[in-house]
Parts: sequence; C-alpha cells; structure tokens
Amino acid sequence: MMRREFAREMASLEAVFDFLHRFAAEERLDAQAAYALDLAVEEFFTNIVKYGRGGAGGVQLEAVRAGATVTVRLEEETPVPFDVTRQTATQFDTPFAERRPGGLGIHIARELLDGLAYDYVDGTSRITLTKHLER
Amino acid sequence: MFSIAVNDEGIVVLTGRFDASQSDRAREVFAVLKESAVVDFRDLDYISSAGLGVLLATQQRLKKEGKAIKLVHMNRMVRDVFKIARFDLIFEIE
Repeated sequence: MMRREFAREMASLEAVFDFLHRFAAEERLDAQAAYALDLAVEEFFTNIVKYGRGGAGGVQLEAVRAGATVTVRLEEETPVPFDVTRQTATQFDTPFAERRPGGLGIHIARELLDGLAYDYVDGTSRITLTKHLER
Repeated sequence: MFSIAVNDEGIVVLTGRFDASQSDRAREVFAVLKESAVVDFRDLDYISSAGLGVLLATQQRLKKEGKAIKLVHMNRMVRDVFKIARFDLIFEIE
C-alpha cells in the first residue's frame, strides 16, 4: 500500500504521476491498467483543484493492490460534498460545433475503470477507483 | 515529459504525455495552425481529456474554414480513449 498527500494545485500533477508510476512498477501493473489509473486520477485530481469547493489542506492519494484488483482513493477535507458518480453523462448527441469537453474526462475514466464510488463522511470526501488486472 | 513541434513538412508532432499541465502550451501551438494539418501521435504515450479538449477546439475552429486536422499513428490505448470519447467520429484517424 502506498499513501501520500499532495498540494491542491495543478503543479502537483507531475508528482501525482510519479506516485502512480512507482506504484504501477512495484505492483507490476499491466500497461492498460496503469493508463486507466493515470487518466482517472488526473481527471479527479484536477477536478478537485479546479473546483475546490472550499476544501482545505491537501489531497490524500492511496493505492493498494489486493490480488487482481487495484484500488486508488482520493481523499480531501471539504465542506461541500460532490458526488462524482452522479455527474451527468456527456451529451454525445450535441452537434459537433457546439460540443464541449465538459464531463468528458469522467466519462472516459468510468469506461476505463471497473468501479467508481463516492462517499462523504464527517467532512471528508472520498473517491474510490477500482481496476481489475489482466492476470 | 511532453513536447509539441511542427516539423519541416508542417506535421504537428506530439511526444510523451499530454496531460492537463500541458494543455496551455499545446493550445498555443495549435492556435497558429491556419490550414489543414496532420498530427503525428507516433511518440505520444498518453492523453487525457485535457488534450482532447485542445484538439476538439482546434478542429472546431478549422472546420469553420473548411479545414481539418488528421490524426495519425496512435497507439492502441490512446486510440481507445478517442473511441470512448467518440472523437473517432470527429477526426479522421489513420
């Protein structure tokens, strides 16, 4: 299990990827799983940074492998819960000229992951990502 | 590491990892494009929705002038991301 706190800023992204890549190397994750975790964590981490919602302190990242399943959690203290699992889907029927990337990242993350969960307890917001590995 | 450059043949070459921290730099390069162009993904290992957003905005701007960017040599995982986003319907991908 690996755990580390990151400052709530875009400049942390490189360190976030370093963390994920060390975890992927130690746990010998396949390339597809590593890509999925990179993309999903980037989407949710940057979402936290961009739409802070009054949160204080850093963002805790925890990664753990149990058998063929990897779980990554992003935790932050915030007064405002934001359930990422309730994000409305990207409107794919929007005409091309009007299409905007909003919501796209979460849609892609959900497709690449095997599980996405959210809970909010005592001021702590927690996003849990799961990915099953190819054996 | 990420780099974006326009080579002597006018091909936009992307290298490395195109994540949210790189989108401003990439946007500046794509903003200079005035004609149809090829974007070479051969050495691009990773792209997220931030990169897709830059490409989408570029395509929308060029299409208004009857022009477009064409994307070539994507690796399998990058291509999967484009398919999930249904960007394979927006771009010509070779």
